[in-house]
Amino acid sequence: MPNEYQLMKDGALCQDEWTYSDDETALPDAPTIISLTRLKAEAESLRARNAKLGVQLLADGNGKTKLGEDVAELEPYLDMLSLVSIAFPTYRNGRGFSAARVLREQFNFEGELRASGEVLHDQWAMMRRCGITAFELAPSVSLETFTAAMGELSNAYQPAADDQRGALWQRHK
Amino acid sequence: MYRYDEFDHQLVGDRVKQFRGQVERRVSGELTEDAFKPLRLMNGVYLQLHAYMLRVAIPYGTLSSKQLRMQAHIARKYDRGYGHFTTRQNIQFNWPALDKIPDLLEELATVEMHAIQTSGNCIRNVTSDQYAAAIDGEVEDPRIISEIIRQWSTFHPEFTYLPRKFKIAVTGHDNDRAAIKLHDIGIVIKQNELGDVGYEIHVGGGQGRTPFIAKKMADFVPKAQLLAYLEAVMRVYNMLGRRDNSYKARIKIMVHETGEVEMRRLIEAEFAKIDASQMLAVPQAEIDRISAYFASPEFETLPATSPALDAAKTQDADFARWVRANVVAHKQDGYAIVNISLKPIGGVPGDATDVQMEAVADLAERYSFDEIRVTHEQNLVLPHIRLDDLKTVYDALNAHELATANLGLISDTIACPGLDYCNLANARSIPLAQEISERFADLDRQYDIGELKIKISGCINACGHHHVGHIGILGVDKKGTEFYQISLGGSADENASIGTITGRAFTEETIVDAIETVVTTYTDMRQTDERFIDTFRRVGLDPFKERLYAE
Repeated sequence: MPNEYQLMKDGALCQDEWTYSDDETALPDAPTIISLTRLKAEAESLRARNAKLGVQLLADGNGKTKLGEDVAELEPYLDMLSLVSIAFPTYRNGRGFSAARVLREQFNFEGELRASGEVLHDQWAMMRRCGITAFELAPSVSLETFTAAMGELSNAYQPAADDQRGALWQRHK
Repeated sequence: MYRYDEFDHQLVGDRVKQFRGQVERRVSGELTEDAFKPLRLMNGVYLQLHAYMLRVAIPYGTLSSKQLRMQAHIARKYDRGYGHFTTRQNIQFNWPALDKIPDLLEELATVEMHAIQTSGNCIRNVTSDQYAAAIDGEVEDPRIISEIIRQWSTFHPEFTYLPRKFKIAVTGHDNDRAAIKLHDIGIVIKQNELGDVGYEIHVGGGQGRTPFIAKKMADFVPKAQLLAYLEAVMRVYNMLGRRDNSYKARIKIMVHETGEVEMRRLIEAEFAKIDASQMLAVPQAEIDRISAYFASPEFETLPATSPALDAAKTQDADFARWVRANVVAHKQDGYAIVNISLKPIGGVPGDATDVQMEAVADLAERYSFDEIRVTHEQNLVLPHIRLDDLKTVYDALNAHELATANLGLISDTIACPGLDYCNLANARSIPLAQEISERFADLDRQYDIGELKIKISGCINACGHHHVGHIGILGVDKKGTEFYQISLGGSADENASIGTITGRAFTEETIVDAIETVVTTYTDMRQTDERFIDTFRRVGLDPFKERLYAE
């Protein structure tokens, strides 16, 4: 996947140290993101790798299922992974929101969680609430736009994967 | 009634500001209609045949008089002087100008209302029993848990881009007036043998082109675990629900294709993981805070009967008929539940003018502890009227053409907006509802026919609930001509059932005659006091079919 995006990470634009690798090419000795297929096939040799490893969770499952890859499949490999990139094929497909929360809240994944693909302006803040910390954004998005969008809703009603407790709980601290 | 605190006010205010920015970007051309669409949908703004339409949420169908007056004001200032109450206990305005909608929403926020999540593939407005806290035999006021669900589901970060829309309904009574088995999740408040209150959960009901009655997924979810259970259902659906075909994306299809047993296993496995954290157990202090808003009104101690009422009934036969049809027994002696039919003979089902809304608001303020309810059958309710006041209330309603005495009768139809407004429709619904009510205008004949629910949808999306009409009518399009298909035997109550199609569709010219044939077939065959639905269940489809298609 070419780097046609700018990376917004922890609220700031930054240089992306990661590259995406396809399933055939030899992996660079630098942080790289591979497919779940390759991760499963080469898990043994990948464990010996020094550079950081990430995986992309595909939404359409490479044609295997209509749904996309199952986040549960990542569980055995999480100790090898510093990053999970969750693909959003269109803004309408919100399946990745659940994958993010499962990774954070049930698998206790502490690495980078990033959103790739088609992501809308007012989805960023919700993604952050689900535990996503990095966003691959269109080059046209300014830092001001991003920061403003993140602050549009000052509070939340319910808990999720961030530190907001939600009004139903917060009213009675 | 629930009142906003600073959290609620701030969130709704934030949302209005956010939407104002989005509308500005749309009007300036920065956003294309395509990019704007998901944003406006999350705020209840649809693009219909002729104009934008705004759907305002009425959580669990409860309104104060101040809130209803605001709807009248909005109808007057931003629309053409009327609003339309929907089958989801909401109100729609058909003609607002897009650039004025942010102002409209700002005014709405001053009475603690909004249009959030009234469209889009998210958790929609929670609906409930219109007789909540007024009817005898309720386990608990269903609006308490409905309000907790409203808050939990509002701006839910995980469940706002679901495979398809998601509707939750709650009842606290054995007689289901909220059609809970026809919702994505239906909740029945129950008391177990230990006296604890909890929830029976039904999943996967729905109408549309493939109707299903919901499957019971859990017998008793304890109070503290409800949100964890709901979150489990939502997550299973969000992860595994189909997204390849929007007609197969509702959870009802998932339940059907996955199977009830496997679906239950998936939900319970996820529930165990979520519940383990106890993160979603709402603090008792918060439940108490919300419950306090729904404390019973301070009813007077009154005798169970009213001589004034009896005298008025003797003097005024129309009033007596209205009492018989539209007034329901209250749990409190000396009080009654008053249904206001929005189905005048020849009128548009569910429509109310600004003046009518203000009249109802005034009555609620003076006589009904400031409360109004909206029903999924597109009528209004004054839940707490003293028997002694019934005549006064009736006279005031009558002066505004709001005293049609046809609740639950053949002219009390549900109808979708149909081809007059909607760009999905194949056929008109409203004119047909009007023709039927005119055909059966004679109230004595309506009483003789008894309880008979006609529900009309202008297309297969079933917004007019035709699948669960005792008589359902579906508009179909054949080569540019409007046709109407009849189904019989549907029901949306605790004995929910999906109607059966009679056969070949009828033309615009023959459909009303066909309805008449169905009705006379019933009246010819019924046994003493047998309702239409019971006769149908006893004799089946065939006798109706024979008469309908006899040469």
